[in-house]
Amino acid sequence: MTSLMGNHSGTIGYSFSEPTSANVKQHSFYPYTDNGGSTLGITGADFAILAGDTRSTSGYNINSRMVPKVFKIGGDDETGEGANIILSVVGFAADGNALKEKLDTMVRMYKYQHGKSMSVGACAQRLSTILYEKRFFPYYVHAILAGLDEEGVGALYSYDPVGSYEREQCRAAGAASSLIMPFLDNQVNSKNQYIPGSGEGHALVPKKAEPLDKETATKLVKDAFTSAVERHIEVGDGLQLVIVTREGIEEVFHALKQD
Amino acid sequence: MNHFPEAWGRPRNDVYGAYDHSYLQTSGPKAHTSSPAVTGTSVVGVKFNGGVAIATDNLASYGSLARFSDVKRLRNFGDKAMVGFGGDVSDMQYLDRLLDSMDIKENYSHHGNMLNAKNLHTYLAKVFYKRRSEFNPLWNHVLVAGFDGQGEPFLSSADLLGTTFSAPHLATGFGAHLAVPILRRKFPEGTPLEQVSKEDAVEALKECLKVLFYRDARSADKYSIAVITKDGIDLKEDEQIQGQSWAFAERIRGYGAQTA
Amino acid sequence: MVEYAVKAVENGGTAVGIRCKDGVVLAVEKIITSKLLKPGANKRIATVDRHVGIVSAGLVPDGRHFVSRARDEASSWRSTYKGPIPTSAIANRLGGYVQAYTLYSSVRPFGVTAIVGGWDTEAELPVDGQVGNGPKSGSGGKVEGAKAGGPGLYMIEPSGLYWGYYGAATGKGRQAAKAELEKLDLSSGNLSLADGVKEAARIIYVAHEDSKDKEFELEMTWISSVDGPTKGRHEEVPKEILEEAEKAAKRALEGDDEEEEDKGEGEQMEE
Repeated sequence: MTSLMGNHSGTIGYSFSEPTSANVKQHSFYPYTDNGGSTLGITGADFAILAGDTRSTSGYNINSRMVPKVFKIGGDDETGEGANIILSVVGFAADGNALKEKLDTMVRMYKYQHGKSMSVGACAQRLSTILYEKRFFPYYVHAILAGLDEEGVGALYSYDPVGSYEREQCRAAGAASSLIMPFLDNQVNSKNQYIPGSGEGHALVPKKAEPLDKETATKLVKDAFTSAVERHIEVGDGLQLVIVTREGIEEVFHALKQD
Repeated sequence: MNHFPEAWGRPRNDVYGAYDHSYLQTSGPKAHTSSPAVTGTSVVGVKFNGGVAIATDNLASYGSLARFSDVKRLRNFGDKAMVGFGGDVSDMQYLDRLLDSMDIKENYSHHGNMLNAKNLHTYLAKVFYKRRSEFNPLWNHVLVAGFDGQGEPFLSSADLLGTTFSAPHLATGFGAHLAVPILRRKFPEGTPLEQVSKEDAVEALKECLKVLFYRDARSADKYSIAVITKDGIDLKEDEQIQGQSWAFAERIRGYGAQTA
Repeated sequence: MVEYAVKAVENGGTAVGIRCKDGVVLAVEKIITSKLLKPGANKRIATVDRHVGIVSAGLVPDGRHFVSRARDEASSWRSTYKGPIPTSAIANRLGGYVQAYTLYSSVRPFGVTAIVGGWDTEAELPVDGQVGNGPKSGSGGKVEGAKAGGPGLYMIEPSGLYWGYYGAATGKGRQAAKAELEKLDLSSGNLSLADGVKEAARIIYVAHEDSKDKEFELEMTWISSVDGPTKGRHEEVPKEILEEAEKAAKRALEGDDEEEEDKGEGEQMEE
């Protein structure tokens, strides 16, 4: 993510470049920080899960062990009651909060103005627009949006900081995304899995990805995080699991290692 | 005669040459705060059974110069909440005035000020975030202490970037490195608040301030401490760190008095 | 024209202010125009800054605008001088503002007479946002025993005319109220705030005698010295004290009625 913003290194000394006054260093205000943590989402035929650890960091400091990263969007009050869309944000937490509040307000305004809840697909497009509006001063976050689509099938959209997005079965984001995503590729999308005895070498038949049931997906999420905690210092303390089904939104917390 | 009144009484151009305006910079980028000037160091805070305690020392530094030694860095918001300021002192004064005017407006109605510490923290965090988004930050890291809407003890942090977080005990600046580990050992996370007494909390803060005074070169041994309970705010602004022991300094080798 | 504005004021509920030695009381007779109005709601005395309150008689909306201007003046004073506005200064600013509305054909004068009460702190107050205590002695040090601050009471009329008063009354029952205020010997500076509250309540009740057929509610606020009950702030008089004062006022009035039957109606005065 660091490559995205300002280049702090000095100017390149081309022979034709204007000579800069000797050793003048201008300190400028850097408006971002990384608050660490990781998020992940998995969908199935009739559910969507978003999860995130609850640690907040600044450098090597743990700011707090209880800062949730998954939010209900478009609820009737501040508790999020009545919502059917969820959003996870990881990266720069202040931007994450601002983004969450903006999207939440827009989804609520939609409900007041049209008398019906916004679809996840529409919300996904809206979120992309909100992110792109700040293309040249981006929200420094990786967002994942989830809910159930018009058919009641689990829907999950993942974003880059400037709003490019796609619908996926699963996605890991944040500090430990590079640790979790390959695990998800293998377990959710059955990558590198073959049907035993179906052939030799290239003739091996790849295993087809089947939608997971809710219980299996929940187990995968927990496994993914317990493993990430072992290998990444910015991940830990607590696991927030938010699950959308036809019955509504369920939220549970589990303990993670605090070291 | 010169018919331009603005030129009357000025040195004549034909005698002294045209006025040199070059020292008056009229163009160029607008300068915003890119680093703090006069600063306060750590703020520490702990929640306890029935309230919150918060403390800062009374020093404002100008770089390494201990510039002002009786600075009040704990500011009250009505009789409901306290804000502990670290970072730039002039920005603190600006925010204090901002909060003061908000408190006055709240009191226009005879219901009095209805905003609690949680509301105040949300507001401050938004002010910080707005200013950082304008690349004109308010260079502070603050702790807000008081009660939330449910009447539960509230302690939360906000900084110049608009970052916010809450925990049973918090510290800014050097305190994040030195005080938080002490507080986490004294009151492990997960300890029910009922098991933390007011006396223990105050004692722990004093201990933290002492350690900070030992190790933070920008700290002082004069401090302020506020205890916020349902009965109101008990603010002491002229305290002195007690029971210092510099014996450990004797054993430090490699710099300072002993070089061998 | 100013004369018409004054006419409007003459019919408003009576408002009084008393400048006591350790504070200021503001009181107003709020005529109940409908049984559908919630008792205790629709306040007529406004807080302008922590230490200043305003009560007015006359057109209520004009009074609201007047208060809004007063609040702007108080807050602009704070942002300029980093401290609370003195009562005399806010009276001066408001006097100027009201006067300006008599000058142009495009605007109508204020239909209110307002009583401004305040307490200028006697304590050495830090400027807003002040960070330290400053030097304890020597250059810039404190002057021992310097006296400052105190109560302030001003009344501003639709013409823009304003005077400082020991006791001020306006609205329908002002004549009776003024007569009662004059009996209090306020200029000697002996009346305490606690007694002032009782007197203010009584005077409103006395002034109400002429329009007895209408029901009314008594609204009262006070500003005490820094070591008094409100700590230099403008606040509502607490319910218990208000009720106590109302009870005493009713008792005093019943006593008066008996006397009056002997004397006949000799107290009536014309303007």
